[in-house]
Amino acid sequence: MQEFSPSTLLALVPLLPLAGAILTVLLGRQLGAKAHLPAIAGIAGAAAVAVMLLVATARDVAPADGVHAEPVRPVEMIATLWNWATFDSAYAPPPGSPAADTRLSPQELAAGKDARAFSIPVALRLDPLTATMLTIITCVGLLVAIYSTGYMHDDPGYPRFFALVAMFVFSMSMLVAASNFLLVYVFWEAVGACSYLLIGFWFTKPEAARAAKKAFLVNRIGDFGLAIAVFLLWMTYGTLDFHDTISSDGVIMPGILGQTRLADAAGYVGGVLGTAICLLLLLAACGKSAQLPLHVWLPDAMEGPTPASALIHAATMVTAGIYLITRSAPLFAACPGALTVVSIVGATTALVAALIGTVQNDLKRVLAYSTISQLGYMFASLGTGTMLGFTAAIFHLLTHACFKALLFLGAGSVMHAMGGVIDMRRFGGLRRVMPITAATFLVGAAALAGVAPFAGFFSKDEILAALHAKAWPAAHGDHHASATAGEAFHLASFASDSAQSAGVAVGLDALDRPETWQILFWMSLITAGLTAFYTFRAVFMTFTGPTRVPEGAHGHGHSHDAGHADHGHDSHHGHDGHLADSYESPWAMTLPLVILAVPSALIGWLLFSTNWLAHFLSATPSLTAPAVAATATPHAFHMNLAIQGTLAAAIGIVVAAIGHLGQRSDGPQLERFLGPLQTLFSNTFYFDQIYSALVVRPLEGLALVAALFDRYVIDGTVDAIAGIPVALGGIVRRSQSGLLQRYALAGVMGVLAIVVLLAWQLRG
Amino acid sequence: MTPLPFDPSASGPLLAGAVVATVASLWLLLPNGRDTRSARWLGTLLGLAALAAFILAGRRLGGLGEEAVFLIVSLVAVVSAAATIVSRSPVYAAIWFALTLAGVAGVLLVLGAQFLGVATIVVYAGAILVMFLFVLMLAQPAGLAPYDRVSNEPFLSALAGAVLLGVLSLSIGRLSAAPAACCGVPSRATATPTTGTPPSSTVDGEPTAAPVADALATATDPLAENHVARLGGELFGRHLVAVEAAGVLLLVALIGAIAVVSRGEAALAGEAIASRPAADRSSAR
Amino acid sequence: MNTMQSLPLLQNALTVGAILFSLGLVGILTRRNLIVMFLAAEMMLQGISVSLVAWSRYHGDWGGHVLVIFVLTVAACEAAVALVFVLQAFSRTGRLDSAAWQSLREATVGRTVDHELPSIDTVPPRFPTLTPAGILPAADENEPLQREHV
Repeated sequence: MQEFSPSTLLALVPLLPLAGAILTVLLGRQLGAKAHLPAIAGIAGAAAVAVMLLVATARDVAPADGVHAEPVRPVEMIATLWNWATFDSAYAPPPGSPAADTRLSPQELAAGKDARAFSIPVALRLDPLTATMLTIITCVGLLVAIYSTGYMHDDPGYPRFFALVAMFVFSMSMLVAASNFLLVYVFWEAVGACSYLLIGFWFTKPEAARAAKKAFLVNRIGDFGLAIAVFLLWMTYGTLDFHDTISSDGVIMPGILGQTRLADAAGYVGGVLGTAICLLLLLAACGKSAQLPLHVWLPDAMEGPTPASALIHAATMVTAGIYLITRSAPLFAACPGALTVVSIVGATTALVAALIGTVQNDLKRVLAYSTISQLGYMFASLGTGTMLGFTAAIFHLLTHACFKALLFLGAGSVMHAMGGVIDMRRFGGLRRVMPITAATFLVGAAALAGVAPFAGFFSKDEILAALHAKAWPAAHGDHHASATAGEAFHLASFASDSAQSAGVAVGLDALDRPETWQILFWMSLITAGLTAFYTFRAVFMTFTGPTRVPEGAHGHGHSHDAGHADHGHDSHHGHDGHLADSYESPWAMTLPLVILAVPSALIGWLLFSTNWLAHFLSATPSLTAPAVAATATPHAFHMNLAIQGTLAAAIGIVVAAIGHLGQRSDGPQLERFLGPLQTLFSNTFYFDQIYSALVVRPLEGLALVAALFDRYVIDGTVDAIAGIPVALGGIVRRSQSGLLQRYALAGVMGVLAIVVLLAWQLRG
Repeated sequence: MTPLPFDPSASGPLLAGAVVATVASLWLLLPNGRDTRSARWLGTLLGLAALAAFILAGRRLGGLGEEAVFLIVSLVAVVSAAATIVSRSPVYAAIWFALTLAGVAGVLLVLGAQFLGVATIVVYAGAILVMFLFVLMLAQPAGLAPYDRVSNEPFLSALAGAVLLGVLSLSIGRLSAAPAACCGVPSRATATPTTGTPPSSTVDGEPTAAPVADALATATDPLAENHVARLGGELFGRHLVAVEAAGVLLLVALIGAIAVVSRGEAALAGEAIASRPAADRSSAR
Repeated sequence: MNTMQSLPLLQNALTVGAILFSLGLVGILTRRNLIVMFLAAEMMLQGISVSLVAWSRYHGDWGGHVLVIFVLTVAACEAAVALVFVLQAFSRTGRLDSAAWQSLREATVGRTVDHELPSIDTVPPRFPTLTPAGILPAADENEPLQREHV
């Protein structure tokens, strides 16, 4: 593979799954039960290439040297495939804007001499952030695809599923590899479309169709934010490229996240305009990553097949928002108020989602709310604006991808074995009959709850450390200097556009006070405890207690009936007395579980102890911006935070054990002690009802008005116009009496009229 | 050139009144459901008044031609024509039509068409009218059929006819001896001087042209002697092909009539055999 | 030929022809009896003949005469064929009514039916009475031999 250039390899990562998707569409019906082969081949190829690229990029990153890191040299590679569109003289930036050409005088600028072309190159980039994301996407995608060969085995839409999964992997890869905001927008929409198609995979089921529609529409609100943000970015910066481009006459056009602009202290706009852009990007991220207030689609998205939920609603698509904000780190760094808003949104979402998750009885819903909550953690970490915050968020993203995918696939395994039943109150004690699933699920649950030394413990610890550093800056004493330097950079970029710092921007920036961060820290800590509680509640309800299976569960193992000679999937109508020996899923499903359990257990400790990931990510161009890089702190293990985190997790696990360990899962629940709060939580804080009343009903009313207008006014007008000839015809038709003399009379009168007219004209 | 002998503007109201009177009289006279004697009297009076108005307008339009004879025969023709169309009994209408033909023949004779006048009587009154009477005898029910006592849109039809008559009269009244300004086609009548005196030999070239033209005009003038002979010469000379075609037409019409009748009878015979209970079909004959 | 005097003759003759033509037109449009309709058509032809002969006399040539002869010929053929069709129509419907044929009307338009006509003052038909067998029937000299109404 040495003869392949890095840009070719980079292009292969999205293209191989695309080829797999196209082949599946074309040949799916012929391949029948083997319809998974093109897709899995494509994704596997992409995964191999992504790993190669990760290794290659890691080699390019300078090694870490000591405690105080100098600013790491950014690593990026741009591969421009082709130029999609070019509009000559499309934009003349106003004087004084960051996009203006400083060589020209203001008069020349006002005269429009600086009119430049707007071009959209299809350019892919490779930098540490992209390499990490690509590896996550393709590897988890591969495991989910292998899992699906078992899970979707009997489904009539088998080829369609794999085509969609491959298409999704292509879209997501392009999203994280695109080097142009417009391309990001395109693939942002594309992953939304794939998500819609996958949620509504069983579209004949009304709930699934409704859930798919809801997901798409809520995402659309976020997409609107992204579109406006893209417009504002172009107006402000004159280009949409991340990277610097060189125009035909040798002039460097600074990209939005290009190294020229990153090195420029006054390169980024703050104030009202900058905050607006950042808040719109946040809106887009909230839509895609299911944060408050756009989180309502993710629980309903559980109507889709469980592998789809594992892939896109746990591990990859919902992380697009995290990716976007991380990529736009320099933009956010110029607007501290926006960063604070990000954290507030994230922490609030984490807490609310965790509270709702404590009272859910549907295993997949517990995991869905857990996903929302963990994404909220990542947002909270991003909003700190420090290098630690950004890298901790990506670290948590990585570990979350592993253990959440594991948990979802495990839930899928349970659901598959229980014949489609996922209500935890209808089964229990499954560890005896599904040992592999139970063991891997336990590993994933421990990782999620933050139990040391599993993966989630370290990443959650980093996030808490980032929040703690913002909440109690004095406690991180020897980092004070770099923190001040960071603030100096904040102020410097602030002063560059003093004309714009007014109003809202100042108001939001006032939120950036240690008191705010302290509240957020405590919220996150409480959320950690709740996370552990509901996770282990689910584990205990499902896998401990007396073993019960619902009717229609797929068990195998000939306990008392030796006559059946099929592949081993007897449908035992299991009452408690007729348990089969095992309900374990086939190896196609349990193998990915086992594979995922390994990183869930080990990857956290590995990456944390070597600090490899944080160092690797710090070479991302966006994170080499001075405003961000100056906040870098040396790697340290914060023992007090670890203790606090572990204590919270332990409390949660103990309470869950008291309530559910060894009990029947349909017995009295702990939440009866909550009283009225239980109703509030189980109704998801009435978000759906509020939206329905505020948004859906008025829209339906408007649609009704429009429909009535269309039917009665527009159609009525058209029908009236159409009725005129009919009415006229009806009147004229009455003259067709069949009496020939009347016809002759009509003819004679016509002739007479002409004759009289002629005589009149010719008189005199 | 020639001073017009009439004043178009003066005869206008007279013609208009004549037209209105014609409409009213026809409407009253034509058969409709309610036939009262007063209506018929009023209609007759109005008709005569209209006729008088036409005559007066004609007088103002200039001269009366061969006055008395022409007036009598034309009156006979017009009055009989009106009676034809308003008679309720179709047999009476046929008789009135015979009288109309007599009047028309008289008009033709006054106009100098000797052969045509006689031919009208012979062909029309003698052959065509008799055929109509035969059919009436075959098909007319006793007494007045209901469809003889009603008319089809009498008012509109009378209006149409009267307006047409008015327009035609107006156009006739505006005929002049001068050639039309648009077309410049001289009538043969203008070859002779308008004063009526014989041509005077003023120039040498003219006397030779005038007698020749005069002889030519006399040769084709219908009023000269040997009217029928020369008509025959004209017919079989210049219009031989048309005459032969007319003969063929007559033959074809004869054969066609016989063919249609015989096929119709065969079809009827078949129908009568097929549907015996439908006796009303053949009972009318 | 005296054009100054023959113009009034022409005009009067044309007027007569116009009157005949118009009356014939009214007759065709109005009367419902098929035979009377054809009589009116013949009357229109008479008017035309008069006009043509008048023009022929005015111009002093044979054109109008010849045309009238052909009009005569065609009228004869037309009458023959037309009467055949009248008889065919009569044999289908039993009457000489032009309103008996309304098949050309629109499907949504109803059949035109005559209003109830008041009875006419006709003499009621007197049917012969049979005298008892064996007795010579009394002859009535006053009884008309032909029917009074046609």
